[in-house]
Amino acid sequence: MSIINKEVRRVEIDVHHITRVEGHGNISLKINDGKIEQLLWEVPESPRFFEAMIRGVSWQHVSHIVSRICGICSISHSMASILATEAAFGIQPSKQTQLLRKLLYNAELLESHVLHSMVLVAPDMLGTDSIFPLAETHTDVVLIALRLKKLAYNLAELLAGRKTHPISLVVGGFTKLPDTGELEKMRVKLEHAFVDINTVVEIVRSWKLPNFNRETEYVALKDPVEYAFISGQIASSDTGVTHVENYLEITNEYCVPHSTAKHTRNHRDSYMVGALSRFNLNHKQLHPRARKTAEELGLVAPCYNPFMITVAQVVEIVHALEDSMDIIDQLLKRGIEPEVVEEGKIPFRAGRGVGAVEAPRGILFHDYTYDADGKIKKANCVIPTNQNHANIQKDMEALVPLIMDRGGDVIRHILEILVRAYDPCISCSTH
Amino acid sequence: MAFNLVPGNEEGVKPSFIIRRKDLDSVVDGLVKDMRVFGVKSRHGKFVYDRINNSGELRLDFDITVMPPSRILLPAKEVLLQFELGTSKQPQPVLESEPFAIIGVHPYDLHAIELIDEAFMATNPDPHYIARRHNAFIIGVDNLNPSLRSFALDMGTHRAEKGFDLLLTDLGDEDYLITVGTEKGMALLKQYNHIRRASAGEVARRNQLLKEAEARYKLHLAISRELIPQLLEDNYENPFWRTRSEACLSCGSCVMVCPTCFCYDVLDEVQLNLKEGARIRQWDGCVLVDFARVASGENFRHDKASRFRHRINRKGRYVQERYGKLGCVGCGRCSIACLAEIASPLEAFNALAEAEKKKPLTGIKLEIRDFEGLHIPQMAQLIRVQQLTPNEKLFDFRFIDGHQLGHQPGQFVEVHVMGIGEAPISVASSPSRGEVFQLGVRSLGNVTTAMHNLKEGAIVGIRGPFGKGFPIPSIEGKDVLMMAGGIGLFPMRSLVQYILDHRRLFGRVILLYGCRSAEARILKDELADWARDPNLELLETIDKSCEGWNGHVGVITTLLPEVKMDITNAVAVVVGPPVLYKVALNELKNMGFKDEQIIVSLERRMKCGVGKCGHCQIEGIYVCQEGPVFTLSQLQKVKEAL
Amino acid sequence: MKPRVAFFEFTSCEGCQLDSLNIEAEILDLLKAVDIVAFREVKSGSSEDYDIAFVEGSITRESEIARLKEIRERAKILVALGACACLGGVNCLKNSLPMEEALKIVYGRDARYYDTIPARPLHDVVRVDHYVRGCPINTDELLKVIKALLLNKRPEIPNYAVCVECKMANNVCVYERGMTCLGPITRAGCGAICITSGRYCVGCRGLVYEANLESQKDILKKYGLTAEQISEKLNIYDSCAGVKR
Repeated sequence: MSIINKEVRRVEIDVHHITRVEGHGNISLKINDGKIEQLLWEVPESPRFFEAMIRGVSWQHVSHIVSRICGICSISHSMASILATEAAFGIQPSKQTQLLRKLLYNAELLESHVLHSMVLVAPDMLGTDSIFPLAETHTDVVLIALRLKKLAYNLAELLAGRKTHPISLVVGGFTKLPDTGELEKMRVKLEHAFVDINTVVEIVRSWKLPNFNRETEYVALKDPVEYAFISGQIASSDTGVTHVENYLEITNEYCVPHSTAKHTRNHRDSYMVGALSRFNLNHKQLHPRARKTAEELGLVAPCYNPFMITVAQVVEIVHALEDSMDIIDQLLKRGIEPEVVEEGKIPFRAGRGVGAVEAPRGILFHDYTYDADGKIKKANCVIPTNQNHANIQKDMEALVPLIMDRGGDVIRHILEILVRAYDPCISCSTH
Repeated sequence: MAFNLVPGNEEGVKPSFIIRRKDLDSVVDGLVKDMRVFGVKSRHGKFVYDRINNSGELRLDFDITVMPPSRILLPAKEVLLQFELGTSKQPQPVLESEPFAIIGVHPYDLHAIELIDEAFMATNPDPHYIARRHNAFIIGVDNLNPSLRSFALDMGTHRAEKGFDLLLTDLGDEDYLITVGTEKGMALLKQYNHIRRASAGEVARRNQLLKEAEARYKLHLAISRELIPQLLEDNYENPFWRTRSEACLSCGSCVMVCPTCFCYDVLDEVQLNLKEGARIRQWDGCVLVDFARVASGENFRHDKASRFRHRINRKGRYVQERYGKLGCVGCGRCSIACLAEIASPLEAFNALAEAEKKKPLTGIKLEIRDFEGLHIPQMAQLIRVQQLTPNEKLFDFRFIDGHQLGHQPGQFVEVHVMGIGEAPISVASSPSRGEVFQLGVRSLGNVTTAMHNLKEGAIVGIRGPFGKGFPIPSIEGKDVLMMAGGIGLFPMRSLVQYILDHRRLFGRVILLYGCRSAEARILKDELADWARDPNLELLETIDKSCEGWNGHVGVITTLLPEVKMDITNAVAVVVGPPVLYKVALNELKNMGFKDEQIIVSLERRMKCGVGKCGHCQIEGIYVCQEGPVFTLSQLQKVKEAL
Repeated sequence: MKPRVAFFEFTSCEGCQLDSLNIEAEILDLLKAVDIVAFREVKSGSSEDYDIAFVEGSITRESEIARLKEIRERAKILVALGACACLGGVNCLKNSLPMEEALKIVYGRDARYYDTIPARPLHDVVRVDHYVRGCPINTDELLKVIKALLLNKRPEIPNYAVCVECKMANNVCVYERGMTCLGPITRAGCGAICITSGRYCVGCRGLVYEANLESQKDILKKYGLTAEQISEKLNIYDSCAGVKR
């Protein structure tokens, strides 16, 4: 271990169960006589063994169960699960289903990114410990955040019955469809939401984020036609495009003793997934309004500053809103086909399928092998955040030497906001 | 409750018209512009009532709907009152004020609505139902395509000649016959040009079509429907109830879909700011587990068999006896909805069918009552609180506007603690004691516990007084033997005080009081006074001996041998927990008391106080109306009572 | 003095806590009525001095048992939040396997680094005062419980089956649509949302009081399910033995 900064005698940081992230993570740092003796991003989250528990489960119940991997990105999990099952059974969803799924996905993205930027990160930027005191000092901001979250919930409810653990989203399509009147009303609400979104952009523009750059490998879905969320193949900034079915070539999961969540690596020691990866790889496909927002916020591709992940999310919020209005326009033009899914008519069979979506936090894989009775024989899930854990570790290792002399409190604070910037979904990553 | 009916001509035939289907569609589209319209729509291959936006959505060829149209008149949840916590402001009733239409009501449902009208508009008229009913425009439709589960023919509900504003009959060939039922219906038709008078032949065609439809009813009663009430009464103890209900899930589907069911629950809801609140009424049902459960945990119909028996008896007997209208209209919805396939009243009646004998209906005399304080709580202030035991308190209340409660001893009130709910409490003081009335309360459930937390000066709402009190005229001039157990002394106290205030009107007055233990004795000071009072003979006992108690030990019946009295001109009054009745009544009969000389006060779960929500039913009796005070002769045939 | 409220989570997806924040205008009233002193997902800094603890998640590790007991010691009132806390939830599905096998399936050769015990609901470890059921919870029901606690009142939670609410919602019965449903034996309070959304009830709110399981199984058999299928259906949320309510 080399001496980095003789002036720094001794620093000890022990963040137990970092706050304002989903799930349980610890940061521990020991500096002695200028040397970093220990720097660890630990994940002590209790494993739930989803990949083991769904063995033997019938296909009708699978997406319901794996939805419970995560409370924030349950729609992404349900969707990846359904895509995997549809791939295994050879089912091709209709165009209307694809449009509705994209719209539903946007609802989750909107809620997740608003939650992250305005509820989890904003307090750090405003010097408080949570949004609760802001309810008195910055009531408008708090109400905006809650209003946008509520809008996202309402959009998800319109399409899937419920946002957390969606109901009508199933293999083959939807069990209930919105009517055109409801879609029209929703479109109006989405349009009005831009008033609030603009305020959010202004708020984020005022933030002073640390300027820390570390180039890494960036991985995300890439689609030939649009900014990829629930379609496309795997793209890496280093190794090019890989077919979704061959995801294992990219993920290469391995265990570390201090983390119940696995780590991954591809070309380098670690790679990043999430909004910044998506931006770096696909920014040209963003809606013009979103690209303009990126400019206003100083986000330029390629960006190697993990603290800018939140900014990339805000850009995606703008994109998702515009995209949602486009999708609704398309649906209204086509009219709603009464194609409600009948469970008894789904043709199940033995086979393997992989589903990949860009969850709000990054690329997500569900890989199922079914037997002839339509029950799961084998399952594997690779979660966005477990693909980020190694990258978080590497970022910390690069960052600490640069801030070693700032004193324990400042170092702890910066490390915390680094972790928060990734918007980690830790219980998800452990599953 | 007058609906201005259109009289028939000399032969009783109502004015009839013919309309083409496409013109009917225009009428419907016109209605949709003017008001909310509920019609029959197709959903998942079945039929439901729902808001319709245009005539294209309306289906008049349905066999049966999932939920009956009576449930539009009595919605699943409605706000009855709005109030402000912590103030003395009178709660405000919330009443429906906008007109609406229901299109597509089959005859059996029209009959059912007549029952609901009778139940909600005649006795203790319900202002919420009345407002909604008067705003309803009902367009019926003849049922030429009965459901396979329907036995409406045998129930006599396969056709209806009243209960609608307009009635449609599909004559075929895109022609509909419209029969006018009310002036309101006539007024609507006058707005449209494309109708013409129906010919006698066309009116006759309706009757012919209805006759032809009769052959399509596949299910039939094994006995004539007039004999059903007696059949049920005779078979009260039949093991059929237990065996049939084994598979019952108590899921509630049968009562929810029933057009003649109207039992409800009443709850308080509040806003998070704990300032504004509302009283909500929502559907309930006698087959649900907690329907007859009281705060102490006692459940008067705790098993599936008794609940199942009650429901069938209500459908086939109690409703008929009380309202003179059918309790079951034979629609078949419950047998469609019941997954365990046990719900059909037809199947129950047929299973019990046997040789019948005619019996005149007992006919419970209905009293028409309506006064302020029946439905809307009147504000009263808590003047004084006395802690009697760790769990019991005595509350003194006075109405803010100074009016007297005007109750009879033995009646009860519904106490409303805003935001928490309402609870029935017997009045523990005599009406001869002025404008302050007293309530004795044991802290058990939400409301009584909240009452125990009230400070003097607090405001509550009081509805009532409800029920039949002690029959003073039949006690006057007689010797009175009162037996009170536990907190039964609270309601008994109203009678004791009354008697002491009018002492000359009564003979010997004996009070027996039994309690679990010395600590559990309530009203200790009063008992001490009564022990010294020469106008009253008091004997006390506690169940188990304990330190410091020098009095009698043993259950209350062990005091009876010490009572030497002439029974011929005496009455016995018994008030206490269910176990008291089980032991005391036999002993009293052994002493020579006849059923008409024994008076009891029964407890049941009471909510509305006005004989509608259904929770306090003992067989066909509503405890809040015919009780809580009964003579044993009234209860002779009522096996569920004790 | 405002009641001090804390949120905790054990093994869970944190969806129930997240949905607790799915309130909009009510947030200001809520913050006026209570002091939220701990809520790790949303707030830094916490306190070990609280009156009411809302606890999400089930217990799946030894280390969680001690922490739960500590929370029970400190809280006057403990509310189980969500199916995992109330019944054990989907976490219990792994209980059908020996723990070593579950570890091996997921972690392979590295299983030795990790530990787990069969999942169980909170009331298997400590006394629970109130339950907010569902997977996820119904936010309205959480607010109802909070209001009841503020008014010192026992919350009025339905003690009847989902069928009641399904009929109130004017739904066509699932059994009439070619599928099967656990509504008749599941506790209401969700508004029958799954049926209204075109699916069926899988029992996430737990069994209704004195559920007639034998009759429900007979009905499922009548509607074409094999014994194995019936078992799978009932076990999604009922795998943890000893469901007390």
